[in-house]
Formats: sequence, structure tokens, C-alpha cells
Amino acid sequence: MTFSRLEDRRFVTGAGRYVSDWNFPGQRHAAFLRADRAHARIVSIDIEAARAMPGVRAVITAADTAAAGFRSLPCAAPIPGKGGSALLRPERPVLAADVVRFVGECVVCVVADTAIAAQDAVEAIIVEYEDLPVVMTAEAAVAAGAPQLHPAIPGNVAIEFETGDPLAVAAAFEGAAHVVSLDLHNQRVVGSPMEPKGCLARHDPETGDYFVHVCTQGTTGMRAQLVATTGIPDEHVHIVAEDVGGGFGLRFNAYPEYSAIMLAARLTGAPVRWVASRSEVFLSDEHARGVSSRGEVALDAEGNFLAFRFNFLNDMGAYIAPTGPVVAVLSIRACLAGVYRVPAAVANVRLALTNSVPMAAYRGAGRPVISYMIERLVDQAATELGIDPVELRRRNLIPPTAMPWKTVNGLGYDSGDFPAVLDKALGLADWHGFAARRAEASARGHLRGIGLATFIESTGGGASPDEVEARFGDHGEITIHAVSHSHGQSHETAYAELLAAVLGLPRERFRLRNGDPAVRLAGNPTGGSRTMHGVGSALRVLADDIIAKGRELAARALEAASADIEFHDGVFRISGTDRSVSLDTLIERHAGGPERVFDTRSSARTGSTFPNGCHVAEVEINPATGVVSIERYTAVDDAGNLLNPTIVAGQMHGAIVQGAGQVLGEHAIYDLETGQFLTGSFMDYAMPKAVNVHGLVIADHPVPTPTNVLGVKGVGEAGVTGSLPALMNAILEALRPVGVTHFDMPATPARVWGAIGAARSGEGRRFAHA
Amino acid sequence: MSKVSLTVNGKAVSVDVEDRTLLSSVLRESLGLTGTHIGCDTSQCGCCTVHVDGRVVKSCTMLAVQAEGSDVMTIEGLAPSHDASGATLHPVQQAFSECHALQCGFCTPGMIMAVAGLLKDTPDPDDQQIIHGLEGNMCRCTGYVNIVKAVKQAAVTMRA
Repeated sequence: MTFSRLEDRRFVTGAGRYVSDWNFPGQRHAAFLRADRAHARIVSIDIEAARAMPGVRAVITAADTAAAGFRSLPCAAPIPGKGGSALLRPERPVLAADVVRFVGECVVCVVADTAIAAQDAVEAIIVEYEDLPVVMTAEAAVAAGAPQLHPAIPGNVAIEFETGDPLAVAAAFEGAAHVVSLDLHNQRVVGSPMEPKGCLARHDPETGDYFVHVCTQGTTGMRAQLVATTGIPDEHVHIVAEDVGGGFGLRFNAYPEYSAIMLAARLTGAPVRWVASRSEVFLSDEHARGVSSRGEVALDAEGNFLAFRFNFLNDMGAYIAPTGPVVAVLSIRACLAGVYRVPAAVANVRLALTNSVPMAAYRGAGRPVISYMIERLVDQAATELGIDPVELRRRNLIPPTAMPWKTVNGLGYDSGDFPAVLDKALGLADWHGFAARRAEASARGHLRGIGLATFIESTGGGASPDEVEARFGDHGEITIHAVSHSHGQSHETAYAELLAAVLGLPRERFRLRNGDPAVRLAGNPTGGSRTMHGVGSALRVLADDIIAKGRELAARALEAASADIEFHDGVFRISGTDRSVSLDTLIERHAGGPERVFDTRSSARTGSTFPNGCHVAEVEINPATGVVSIERYTAVDDAGNLLNPTIVAGQMHGAIVQGAGQVLGEHAIYDLETGQFLTGSFMDYAMPKAVNVHGLVIADHPVPTPTNVLGVKGVGEAGVTGSLPALMNAILEALRPVGVTHFDMPATPARVWGAIGAARSGEGRRFAHA
Repeated sequence: MSKVSLTVNGKAVSVDVEDRTLLSSVLRESLGLTGTHIGCDTSQCGCCTVHVDGRVVKSCTMLAVQAEGSDVMTIEGLAPSHDASGATLHPVQQAFSECHALQCGFCTPGMIMAVAGLLKDTPDPDDQQIIHGLEGNMCRCTGYVNIVKAVKQAAVTMRA
């Protein structure tokens, strides 16, 4: 059968509806004046000239948000800090009042008749600043005498987390035959979904209701944050969302602009729309990663791991984004020892504030930090001890017979067959044929390297149950409502195919609405690769609930006891007879009318799943140019049961290439002295292109999880979690023969060429993050 | 202000615009053709790609007044017949769907317009020509793997 998704037709014909595509009569347009310096006291703001510009309807400052009763944007820690300590919370205003703390922070919001008029008026605003000293790296922020960002956060450390047993680890290191350590930097990146963020708000003065059209990963989290910030009661805030052009974690939180646009709609009495330019996206979308780390492994004489010890120092930016602490600590806690049998492990995570854009979730959300640390450290140990990296891993993998596995810090993995996944990947990648390929490359003067990563993920359990609702229309259509919002994950198709298979109805009968304000459901935003095991499980329950209703109606229609009715392939039948009635017929007879008997709301609550995989990367480097070419990439993943393998492969492709983007070029760079953002456009920020990955092979080794009814594991982010370490291990393996012993991402041509030159001339063998 | 007259998807239109107005703004705001997307402000992303007099153009990089008298085709006008109900798709649109060459869909209209232009000039592109042809368009979701596949499939269909 030819593949196609239910959502495709509108996207390929240009009929998708993203935030910037919405228009309402009388609509006004907003623009923001943003801080043009990284740390400064606001002395004065002169808005008079802007107010007098043609077409200007409102000029909104912190005085107005204060008058409206706006509060600090929310943030929280998901678990207590070390010794039970609490997160020190910085005040984060919607519009800066006294101090600006990063370039791009919102200061003034202007509303005008056109977007161009609003932008013109922004340029007429004069802000007088008194510069304050800036601090641009986490290391500098925690140093003695560093400039302080927030009075509430002395020393610029908002919280310190610890997971694992430091005493057991210390004892293991005491008695170890070998200790290997590695410092790594996981650089700051910008998620860069293709749709720039935007918001359109409407206010109804009669009812007090706000309708907020916004790029979101799910209405519940968005609404809760807007309510917390604006103080407007929950029942008056309605999130409207249709198509969302990518998210990757960046659409979870309510950006300060959204609250400002709500206020703008109320003050002007008109719908107000704001759509960010790409420059604004770079300056104000949450950034991600930005983690300095040190890892140590203790081994016995045979190469068995005795203990891991990790220290992470996270650059959190100028404020704590709501998802920031979650990303910083939960994945590290859940995947502390990776896929390995390690008797002791500990991780310490410190969250530091700097004069930069706040940091939050981006595809992988912390798993690419811990997987990158562990898998680079394992390769480092293999190199230093002279053990084959595959053999070292094999020696330490948790065996399938040990499942379910209790992890070293008291959590657990439910299922997985790590050795089988490893073997399958090595076979598909022709690991043993590498020597010949390296020799062939060498004859051409190129450096060839192979590297692998065996990794595990923890996907989101969800903060609340996932509710779904089916509403049966008068023309046979069945509308499904759910919270978890699609921003590319194919929910429309995946949900419909799941329901169609269980109910025996064509998938075209199903419609999906994620962001319909008329249907308020409990549920979780899309994130943590959780939608299929969370919402999918709820849909399976929904299907069963619909069948149960159908069974009662079928029993009546067939004049039989419901216990004697079986359901198969869309048809109810009295067991052992040919007397039957189809679900479709029952829907036609009973779904309409005021009773709406088939309309059903169901829910499920699922825990985390533990997708795992082995990725093998093979790269070639031209030493004359420093260009790294990914020649082969093999991904074998255990994502449990696959519902739609084409969609799953698409998720893997995208995530692997996003990982390749970070490995090969993406790097969000601030000027260390001024705090100006230097990579603020697609001309300066190296997004991956079609050329980046050759020879991509995607395969699976499913071990269904018993933790949800579908046996599925998360799949959206594993590609990044595997590709960062696999690719960097391959690149370093290519560079070792010329004498390079260490390399931090990104492997841009300039940095690789520089490393080769420095190693060959004897100037240096380690190429660390600048 | 200037009056600009042009043909868009076969229909003659005339709009009054500020001189600095971009073609992309006229298409989206004046004519309501929101299938042409704006993804950047430096002509890198290609989400706004349309055809002007048969040539592939990034509509955010052209002033509306420069399009005076031109024949513009947007994604909404690409399919041979584009009524809402089950109309035929252009082979490139069809291939993108069948090859799962789109996820969030935001880059898709520009990507499809760029590929339609590429295949007109290069009916049988090799890998290098496809990669070169896609250089001006960014996709953050697909990793380009299935987009390259879709270009090849569309090329075969269109040559047949």
C-alpha cells in the first residue's frame, strides 16, 4: 500500500494553518523592543515618540504589566536538591522593569495597525541603560567574585542536585585497578524549528475570556503557565492551536511575549498578532545543552566497570525556564549508568546563571548529555586500557536475563536486550570490514574512523493521566480530542490507524483536534517521546470502551446476552452463529441524536519507557580541508512494538540528523566580553543540510515493554541520544592516528583542520571547547 | 504607496502597497495565500519559495513592486486542479506525501516549489544535483533523507 499521512494533503497544498496564518477582523500587530545589551540597569524608557507614530495603538511597558497584576514567569525543580535544598527562583518579568539580563530580553511591546508600523515605532523608543558587568559562561558564573545576576541567587547557582551514592563510589575508586577521566563540553545550540514562534490573542470584554492562538506542544502546560504569569483565572484562558511547525521541546513553555500579547489584546480591544522574525527567534527562543562535564570511571583489572562519577555544570541562561531544571537532572537520574552493570554511580548537577537566553528542552532533553558523557568515557577507557571498545561494552552490558533491572540509584529498566541490539548493529554496519575501508581511505589520503554508542533513554511518564475523547459526528466522522500536540510527529495518522485497526473502521473516518478550547482534557504536552505510550494507551482504552458500548447495543439488536457477543474486525457476532451487526451500523443507528451514546472520554496513565539502541557511525575526514563526511550510519533501536514503521523511521532520520547538526556545526556563540549573540541568523548558525548523512540504515530490535498496553517505547528522540556519542567517537577514532587525543563538539572544518595541524606540528593533542 | 498588478495562480490581481512591501507579504497578507511561509529574514530557509515567470524565487527577497506584470505561482496553484475535494496533486506533492518527506509541514510548500523548479530544469537529477538543488531550503524534521527520495520519485513520474 502506498504510504501517506492524513495530515499530508493540507501540508502539500499549502492549506496548513500555523499561527501566522490566522487573521481576524480589526486585527492589530505587535512588535517588541528587546534589550541590546547583556546586563544593564534601565535608567529610563522614553516611549513618547513611539506613541505618536502613525497607526500606533498601544505602547506597553513593565508599568502596564505591573498594573495588570502580572507576576514572575513560573519555574520549579522536579526533585529536591542536594540535602533537600530548594530551587532559588529568579524573578522573571514579562517585560524588563529595572534590569535586563540577556540580549534579546523583552523591554517594550508596541501595538500598531500593521506589523511594519509597529516595528517602526519600536525603533523610535529610547532606552537609557547603565551597563553592568556580564558573565557568559557557567564556569565564570560560579567563580569567586563573579558578577551577580539575581539578588535571590547568591553565587549564581540556583540549585545543586545529586543522585547516587557518593560514598560507595569513593570506596570503589579507592580499590580500582584503573581510573579513567574525561572532561567534555556539550555546546549550546538553538533548536530552530522552521516556524518562528508567534501568538495571536483575542479578548472578549463581556466574558473576560482570552483566546490565545499559539505555537504549542500541548495546551495544558501552556495554559497553566499563562495563568501563573498573568493571574487571569484558568477558566478564562483558552488555548487555540492547529498546525505547529516543529517544536523539539521549545514550544513547551509560555514565552513572556505571549502574556504581553494577551495584555495588548485587552488594552487595545482588538485581536493582536505577533510573529517573531528569525532574528528574534535566535535571540529569544530557549537555547539548549550548554553543559560542561567531567566523567570518571573506575575499572577492575579485567575491565569491569566498578563505578561512575559525573559532575555536570549547566549554563541555564539568565533565568530558569520552567522546563530547564527538569531537562538538567531527570534524564541523568534515570539513565545514570546507561546500559551497564555498575555497582556504584553518582552524579552531581549544578545549575548556573549567565547573561544569556534561558536554557530548556531540546530534542533528547538531557539524554544526549548523559549518553554523550557515558559513551565518550567508555571509548576513552577502551583507548587508555587498550581494550577493544566493542569488547569493553560487551563485558559490562546488563544481560537480558537480568530484566527487570534495578538501576544503581534505585530506579529501574523494565525490558531490553542490549547484547542482541549491539550484535545486530555491528552486523549491519559491517564493523569487521572497517579495517579494509580505512586502508582504502588512507590510500586516498583520507582519515577514516568508526565509532559506536550503546545507549538507553527514559521517556516521559507524564505529570497527569492522558485523557482522550471521541465525538461522533452526524456524517459518520469521528473526532478525536487529545492534549499532546502534533508538531510533526504524525499524531493524526498514528491515532487514526491505531483506532481503525482495533475498531475495524477505515482510518479516514477519524479527525484529530489537539487544541480545541471547547474540549478541556487532562493530559500532557508532547515531549519526552511519550505520546504513543501515553496517549496511545489512552486511545486503546477508548477503543475498548467504544466496543463495550457497541456490545451492549449489539446484544439488544441481536436479542442476545452481551456475554455471548464477540467482536472481530468491526463486526459484533453471537458466538458460534452467523447473526451479526457491524459497529458501523450501530454507529449509524445510535451515534446521533441528543444522547450521543457513542461519545466517549477515556484515559490512561503510563510510566516511563526505556528505548535503547546501538548506533554505529563511520566518518571520513579530508585532512587538507578538515571536512568531516558521514559515510555510513547504522541505527538499531529497541522502541518496542512499532505501529507505523515509516513514521518511526522518519523520526529516527530527523533526530539522527539533528544530532549530526550539533556534532558537525551547530554552535550558539556569545561574545564573552560583551554578551552579544554572534550566531543570530541562518548565515551564522550552521544548520544541517541535505548533504550531511550518507548511507543511513535504520533497523529495529523490538523488545515490547510490559508497562503499557501497546508494548511501545518512545521513539522521537533516540536518534539524537545515539548520534552525538556515536559520531564523535567515530570522528575521534579518525583523528587518533594523527595524534589528536581529545576533541569537543562541534567538528567544524576549521576546528578539525586546526586540530590536525596542531597535533602534527606537536603544538597540542587536545582540542577542547574554546 | 504603489499599485502593483500581477497574475497569481492564473488570476489577475492588483494591490496597493508601501514601496518597501515584500512579495511574500503581498501573497500572504493582501491575497490570503498563506501557503507561502516565512521562516527566516535572511533568505536562507526557502519556506517562501514561489515561481515568478517560471523561475524559482524566494518571495521574501523580492519587493512586490519588482513583481509588477509578473506571473506568479504559489503552492496553492501548483496542483493541476486544486479544488478542496480530492483533486489531483502535482507529482512533487504526491511524491512528498508517499515518501514521508514532510513532518511538521512548515518547510514543505517552499520545498515543493523549489523541487518543482529543479525538475523542470533538470528532469533526471543525480544525487549531487539534488543536494545542490535543495541547498536553498531547510528542513528541521526529516533530516532530508526522505526529501531526496521524493525528488527521485517525482523525477521518475514526471519523465514518464
